[in-house]
Amino acid sequence: MNRSSTPVSIFGTNKVNLKNFNRSSDMKKIFIKKFRGNPVLPPNYYENTWNKLRDAIISIQNSSILKYSLEELYGDVESMCIHNMSHFLYDNLYYLVENHVGQSVSSFLNDSLNDPQEFLTVINNTWVIHCKQMSTIRNIFIHLDRTYVLHNVQTASIWDMGLDLFRQYIIRNCLVKTKITDALLLLIKQERDANTIDRDLIRSIIRMLTILQIYKPVFEEKFYTESENMYAAEANYCIKNFDLPEYLSHVRKRFKEEYNRGNQYLDSGTMPRLITIIEKNFIADQIQKTLDKGLNKLLDSRDHYNLSLLYLLLGRVKSGHAELCAGFNSYMKQYGRNVVSHPENDKNMVKMLLDFKDAMDDVVAKCFEKNEKFTNSLKEAFEYFINLRINAPAELVAKFIDSKLRIGNKESTDEELEILLDKIMVLFRFIHGKDVFEAFYKKDLAKRLLFGKSASVDYEKSMLSKLKEECGGGFTSKLEGMFKDMELSKDINGAFKQHLSHSLNNTQDTEFTPLDMTVNTLTMGYWPTYPIMNVVLPEEMLRYQEIFNNFYLSKHSGRKLAWQPTLGYCVVRAQFKVGIKELLVSLLQTLVLLLFNGKNELSYEYIKGASNIEDLELKRTLQSLACGKTRVLLKRPKGRDVEDTDYFMYNADFKNKLFRVTVNQIQMKETTEEQKATEERVFQDRQYQIDAAIVRIMKTHKALSHNTLVSELCLQLKFPVTLADLKKRIESLIERDYMERDKEIQNQYNYL
Amino acid sequence: MKMSEDNDNVDRVDSENCKPDKMFTLKKWNAVAMWSWDVECDTCAICRVQVMDACLRCQAESKKDYYGKQDCVVVWGECNHSFHYCCVSLWVKQNNRCPLCQQEWSIQRMGK
Repeated sequence: MNRSSTPVSIFGTNKVNLKNFNRSSDMKKIFIKKFRGNPVLPPNYYENTWNKLRDAIISIQNSSILKYSLEELYGDVESMCIHNMSHFLYDNLYYLVENHVGQSVSSFLNDSLNDPQEFLTVINNTWVIHCKQMSTIRNIFIHLDRTYVLHNVQTASIWDMGLDLFRQYIIRNCLVKTKITDALLLLIKQERDANTIDRDLIRSIIRMLTILQIYKPVFEEKFYTESENMYAAEANYCIKNFDLPEYLSHVRKRFKEEYNRGNQYLDSGTMPRLITIIEKNFIADQIQKTLDKGLNKLLDSRDHYNLSLLYLLLGRVKSGHAELCAGFNSYMKQYGRNVVSHPENDKNMVKMLLDFKDAMDDVVAKCFEKNEKFTNSLKEAFEYFINLRINAPAELVAKFIDSKLRIGNKESTDEELEILLDKIMVLFRFIHGKDVFEAFYKKDLAKRLLFGKSASVDYEKSMLSKLKEECGGGFTSKLEGMFKDMELSKDINGAFKQHLSHSLNNTQDTEFTPLDMTVNTLTMGYWPTYPIMNVVLPEEMLRYQEIFNNFYLSKHSGRKLAWQPTLGYCVVRAQFKVGIKELLVSLLQTLVLLLFNGKNELSYEYIKGASNIEDLELKRTLQSLACGKTRVLLKRPKGRDVEDTDYFMYNADFKNKLFRVTVNQIQMKETTEEQKATEERVFQDRQYQIDAAIVRIMKTHKALSHNTLVSELCLQLKFPVTLADLKKRIESLIERDYMERDKEIQNQYNYL
Repeated sequence: MKMSEDNDNVDRVDSENCKPDKMFTLKKWNAVAMWSWDVECDTCAICRVQVMDACLRCQAESKKDYYGKQDCVVVWGECNHSFHYCCVSLWVKQNNRCPLCQQEWSIQRMGK
């Protein structure tokens, strides 16, 4: 109820008020009278007002105190504009400014202003004042700008007019213009020569030039020419007189300075070309000289700081990195060639190459930003020099691995060894003659396994899996077979021991001396081939051998065993005056020693006849027993070498600190003959491979020219070959009627 | 067991041989022997691969497994000719005669 009544009541009151108002308006009436006649300007309005304005402008230009307030002047301008006097106003203003600017030019033509700094200061002051004045004037005449100038397209705004006049009268003046340019260049040159200059002044002048839009013609072009000349000369001087690090840091300093200059006072558009000028003069034009000068020295000293700098700087120019890469490459090749091609380095070659590889990897990673170009170049260089000497690196790498696997983790931790092996694999990857490596590796592995010289099976397996990964299962299947043989032999020996003790218990033979015999039964074909040697074994040993033979063949039918006397080793108990010693000796040494039982002195001839060991091997064996460090035998006459006429006797006075004495060093060490034999075997294998490849290719093509055949061969063969080798093989195949020379076409072969 | 037996024995030998008459006694022998198939011709006439190596088929397949060739054994027929077992078993499916002498093929023994 209440709610609905309220609006009604309000409405009611309003009505009453309205009535009251209407009533009062009836009483008073306001009339607006018509304006009679147009308003007229005071007489001489134009002259008076302009005079007022002119006075104001002139006092602004003379920097004296204004008589009128700025607001008043502004009002005057506005009213003049309203009264269509804009045109005159503008023209008069123009005239006034032109007059003033024109007068001030004379002050720069004064001969006494020779000091560039002073001259620029004067110019700058004039300019600053001019700007200030023009700004004040514009503020007074702003109405003119907003109406007259806006409607007349050709008319420049008051500010632009001021700039225009300034440009026209001062800068366009030839003398002033050249003076400004020269002064600027001179000051900049002073700064480049490491003097301090008033940078604010220069920045202000350059800003002026930019604002006046004459920066390019007046300054920039000349600045470029000047910089170019200066830096060309400087670069030539520096490259001659500085060493490389000095030169690099100088160039870097220059870049820094110029960037700084650009930030401080040059127009931003100037920088790119200025930088190009430095790049061209200091880097592009001097690349070869720079690199020739000291790249090798930097690399030699592994100077990472300067190498990074060099990389950075050369990266600024187009072919910089390519040239640096070429230099890097030839440095590595030179170093590598020195290491690889000098046999006196053989002992340390692998170590040297590994260290070198590490160092170069480091350089590429730290200084050359892991640039792919450099990584590839590094690989290429290593591949190049590692294969300079055909077989040696492959052999040495195999030997190096051998020595590491023998030592195992005695010298380093497991991880270190693992890393080392990985590194060696990298070297291995570069080697072309992988077959040479395989042959030597296999031979060393055989020795490690048979003589128990391997530090750890884990390392062996790890190395094997690395090789497998690298070269595939075909490469390692035989090596794997060798490990398998060793494991099988262990099982066989276990079973054989049981068998032996069982059969010994049953035998009534009292003469039968128990002997701890273990046999490694190796699969022929997996292992390196060893020379067959028919030596005379003592009856007792023969008996054991026979027992094993029967035992083995009963387990593995269809097989035959070939005993390898050169690989066996024994422990021999020896009685000396100082007591009993155990001698760790090779089988051949054992045979010789056993001959001395019950004998005082034996002649060389007797030993040879009784043992049936061939001369070379026997001499080595006797030498190791009678001329080495551990002299179990004595020789008559004394001497380092064994002659056919020598006599030997048992050395009862033998002394050694140890109970167990190792004598069979010779067996462990590789002889040069063995090495030659391995190389020869690799060479033989290669002949067959070449033959096979030739036949394969000829079979598919039927007829082929000599050159095509050779190039096909080079593609197929995985090891390095010489042209002469190939020719020889082709000749041999022709002789054996596998192929023939074409009767009509020269240099063509036909498959038969 | 074996070791103690050894030592006893050696000691006995030593005490017997104090006179420098038997100065050297063999105590331990680590011998090495190479085994190969006891065959007349060392290449398999069927696949032309040495019988010591796996036959061609097995070589191609065995690249996958670790010790490839163990299963590729040799077999001798009554005629004493020998081949890879894999090769000859494929052969006799077509022609039950020895490829070399045309005698009826029957296995005399298998390599193990």
